[in-house]
Amino acid sequence: MFYTTTSVRRIATTALAAALVTAPAYAGGPIQVSSKVMVEKKVAAKDGTTSVTLAPTKKVVPGDKVVFVLDYRNTGAQPISNLVLDNPVPQQLAYRSPAQGSPTPEVSVDGKTYGELATLRVRTAAGGQRPASPDDVTNVRWRLASPVTAGAHGQFAFQAVLK
Amino acid sequence: MTTDPTTTTIFNREYKAMFANKIRLLLLSGTAVLATTGTAHAAETVAGTVISNTAQVTYTVNGTPQSTNSTTSTFVVDRKVNFTVVVDQAANTKVNLGQVGAVTSFKLTNTTNGAQDFLLDSAQAVPIGILPGVPDFTMSNLKVFVDSNGNGVYDPGTDTATFIDELAPDASIEVFIVGDVPTTGSPNLALVALHAVAASGGATGTKGTALIPTDLNLGNADNTVDIVFADNDSDGLLYLGDIARNGQGIAYSGYEIGVRNVALTVTKTARVISDDVNLLVNPKALPGATVEYCLTVNNATLLTSASNVVLTDVVPANTTFVPGTLTIGLPGVLGVTCTLAALGTTTGYTGAYDTTSKTVTATIPTVLGGTSVAASFRVTIN
Repeated sequence: MFYTTTSVRRIATTALAAALVTAPAYAGGPIQVSSKVMVEKKVAAKDGTTSVTLAPTKKVVPGDKVVFVLDYRNTGAQPISNLVLDNPVPQQLAYRSPAQGSPTPEVSVDGKTYGELATLRVRTAAGGQRPASPDDVTNVRWRLASPVTAGAHGQFAFQAVLK
Repeated sequence: MTTDPTTTTIFNREYKAMFANKIRLLLLSGTAVLATTGTAHAAETVAGTVISNTAQVTYTVNGTPQSTNSTTSTFVVDRKVNFTVVVDQAANTKVNLGQVGAVTSFKLTNTTNGAQDFLLDSAQAVPIGILPGVPDFTMSNLKVFVDSNGNGVYDPGTDTATFIDELAPDASIEVFIVGDVPTTGSPNLALVALHAVAASGGATGTKGTALIPTDLNLGNADNTVDIVFADNDSDGLLYLGDIARNGQGIAYSGYEIGVRNVALTVTKTARVISDDVNLLVNPKALPGATVEYCLTVNNATLLTSASNVVLTDVVPANTTFVPGTLTIGLPGVLGVTCTLAALGTTTGYTGAYDTTSKTVTATIPTVLGGTSVAASFRVTIN
């Protein structure tokens, strides 16, 4: 983390695109995105209600729901524009929905065309087409319309079921 | 549990990842075949699979496009232990007293997301009411064998494995309980239970140890393959032979004494063969005449043999047994000849005459179901 932060500062202050190209630590750009995989855990509160919190994935078996979380943070000094996070859904998982509190992603069933799930179609074995279901989703993508200012951060997350 | 539509998409997506889009149609049609052949949950992700997730990130800084990747998060798919064990025969096995090696059949299906062993044992303490009838005898020499050659039938000497080795996900195998029926008494029903325990796999030919579910409160459970029991209560809530999520299964079957007795009848006829006056032509029962007695044993129960049939007949008063005339064999033509056998006995049959008790004894080892055997002997009238 220390190394990453310094390299980010250097790049940010010098603002040299060349430095980015030559630096092998490409991930050390001004935007830091960390991926986490969590499971939902229901916690009973004293007032009798249950709240859902995220816990580390100790136990995941087929049929279980997991939550993939992407945390982004602008560690540079410049605002970042046109931020796009494209998360291919791991093959062994079936996409379900955006996680609680996360913006709805655009989804894709082929990794090329993105949109709302309801607008996507999948070719069938018979040669026709059918509306895409969450099981068909191969990629989820979030696009930020507004720039991420220096130091700003946020989170996207989606739920998927282990096949 | 994954359903068919899900399977379609799993294959669909895997193929899409591997091949170009233009051959997708062809592969989709192949997938449809796979889905209908019952491989539906073969697609459950195998335990131990490491699943990684990385997002691709693009952005611009001062109008310059940049790209990077997120960190990669991973988790390991844990072992969801699940299987079924069911009786694989329509009714109790019909047995006879003294039957050796009587078989009941069971089927075990591994629905775990990974190959594993199963330990097997049998029991005769079966919960009351789980099967019709009240058991009144126990089998002896009870053993459990696996259908090693996979033909669905117990083959003595071939199916000798006593545990299930490396059963693949979604694969099934037959298991047999083999035992001996008591030789005496008048019992009706014995019940048996097949008990299976999920055991660790991984080594072909090696009997694994029973699996123990991982205590998820322990630390460092994230990147190891945890064991999670997901098996059902195989004998229902009413019975405590098995409970849900214990990594064990149980199924029950029975042995029923089918045929205990046969409809055995004996018919006795007498025919004068000759007398001293008329000789062989229309002989009368005069003193000195020879009389043939004919005993016919009939087993009217089809398909069931009567064993060790012993006929005894006391020679009537005022008659004398003619030595060497005892004949045992298949019945002859009615009214003409008692047996088809020549004087003497057909192989296997034995006969004797006791001069003291004046008793004729004929021993017939087997009277097959639906057949008759005849015995004849001659006396002279004093």
